[in-house]
Amino acid sequence: MSTQAYEITPKDKNFIGWHLAVAIIALAIGSLFGPLQAFEHAGWDLYKYLNPLIKSYYQGLTLHGVLNALVWTTFFITGFLTFTVIYGFKRPLKYPTLNLIGFLLMVVGLVLAAIPILLNEATVLFTFYPPMKANWAFYVGLTLVVVGSWVEGWGFFYTYAAWRKENPGVRTPFIAFGSIITMLLWQIATIGIAVDMLTMLIPWSLGLLPGVDPQLSRTYFWFTGHPLVYFWLLPAYISWYAMLPKQVGGKMFSDSLARFAFWLFLILSVPLGFHHQYVDPGVPPAWKFIHAMLTFSVFFPSMLTAFTVVASLEYGARQNGGKGMFGWMRALPWSNPSVAAQLLAGLLFFFGGIGGLANASYNVNLVLHNTAFVPGHFHLTVGTGVTLTFIGISYWLIPYLTGKKLWQPKWAVAQAWLWFVGMIIFSNSMHILGLLGAPRRTPLNLAPYIPAEWNSRLFQVGIGGAILFVSGAIYLTVVAATFWSKQPATEKVEVPVAEALQDPALGPAWLDRWTPWVVATLALIVLAYGPMLFDLIKNIALTSPGFRVW
Amino acid sequence: MAKKNSNDEFRPQGTVAILVIFVITLVVLWGSIYLILLGRGGTV
Repeated sequence: MSTQAYEITPKDKNFIGWHLAVAIIALAIGSLFGPLQAFEHAGWDLYKYLNPLIKSYYQGLTLHGVLNALVWTTFFITGFLTFTVIYGFKRPLKYPTLNLIGFLLMVVGLVLAAIPILLNEATVLFTFYPPMKANWAFYVGLTLVVVGSWVEGWGFFYTYAAWRKENPGVRTPFIAFGSIITMLLWQIATIGIAVDMLTMLIPWSLGLLPGVDPQLSRTYFWFTGHPLVYFWLLPAYISWYAMLPKQVGGKMFSDSLARFAFWLFLILSVPLGFHHQYVDPGVPPAWKFIHAMLTFSVFFPSMLTAFTVVASLEYGARQNGGKGMFGWMRALPWSNPSVAAQLLAGLLFFFGGIGGLANASYNVNLVLHNTAFVPGHFHLTVGTGVTLTFIGISYWLIPYLTGKKLWQPKWAVAQAWLWFVGMIIFSNSMHILGLLGAPRRTPLNLAPYIPAEWNSRLFQVGIGGAILFVSGAIYLTVVAATFWSKQPATEKVEVPVAEALQDPALGPAWLDRWTPWVVATLALIVLAYGPMLFDLIKNIALTSPGFRVW
Repeated sequence: MAKKNSNDEFRPQGTVAILVIFVITLVVLWGSIYLILLGRGGTV
């Protein structure tokens, strides 16, 4: 992999910076409501003091989910991938205006979706399952965010094509390769939600359809919903595979394994959405079983990733003098906030993976379905594995983009540890509450059925939420103080791109060919989803009226 | 393990040990949830 430095133009830095700015503002606002949910569970209901600004727990939960799970991630990812495409290919975007149009579409969509949420006209949570019915602007706004991200992705594809034309036969640089696969996955995966929005939810919300088919809509949603997790994860993996090793003084253990894992994620991420619908009566058990098996197949590239990333870290630590079976971990640069955040994110992500396998198990899922176990799980994955990694990336990327020295790196390290501790307390409690039968998406403080055995765990949920709130506040302080600092960086910020132990050009050429992988991806989707979608569409029943349950 | 200076000599033994612990943890935690499932009887 070429790790030669490349200077991104100030204009491109500015463009990437705007993505991060919107992302971090969304994280800031959305994160205000996360602790409020946790406090409510602990019996400290602050929502009543927010009325009439915020009218209910569910409006807060919608803001938290949409802003943190959808907006923070999508804007950060499109910004970060813009960086990795430009830096990886060592050339500017082919059509910067196209990417600018995409970004502006995303911003317009965000504003359009935010208005009904803030007016309590779209309190439908971030999954927006019908027959709950939001204002049309919510659906149109989210659609524009997705379309804008598509347009940015097209800009990446054109840039790749231009680079390929200039570099025939050259192995695609890994960080750019991973970025293009991530965007391709996103374009394929979001077909589900696009069809849902355009053929049902938007016309329904505008009164053009008499009703909606909840079963079909949920199937479209989860066609997108599970690969959405990999859209969040793959940018984090780009950093873990190819950037974190450089930050710890090492190299990428295997370029070929990394590329192979990314191809497998592309192939296997989409055709497994029914594992989110195990209790949906309209999906026959055989299809649920097929999707369960495909879900377990993702364990393979996940383990490839775990092995390659940890081996890269071990290599770097041993280069720094680390010794022993586990003692080498002490030789990692834990005082670097970017490294600490990503290492802690990865550590908790291990447990997120375990919970994910329990969720995906057809029978075991029945113990967990719609319980607090599920948000406990995804706060380890998207809430920590992804978010804390993005925070870690921002600790070098923001100084790189602004030319400013990171404000108080020790505070940034403390922020990462507080997130880690807070999330352990919060998530562990949520997992146990789920196993005890506590439902998710429920203001438990108001529930009259709370058994005594839940109480200590509910209290811990509140404590975890409070620690996470402090961590989030420190992050925003560090970011804001860095941005507005008058202190320029004393030395140029190095972009951490690791060399591979083995020259990527020596790896198998089939890992850099697109057609077989893309054909396999589409074929597996047709096999795994085609018959059921055909049946659901053939028997579509637009009979359910919309409900406003808030 | 001694400090490695050559790429070819590197054997990620610590990584393998960590992944073995991970798999054991996975089996134990998954199994504990499965026991909860069994404990609740056939209808959950």
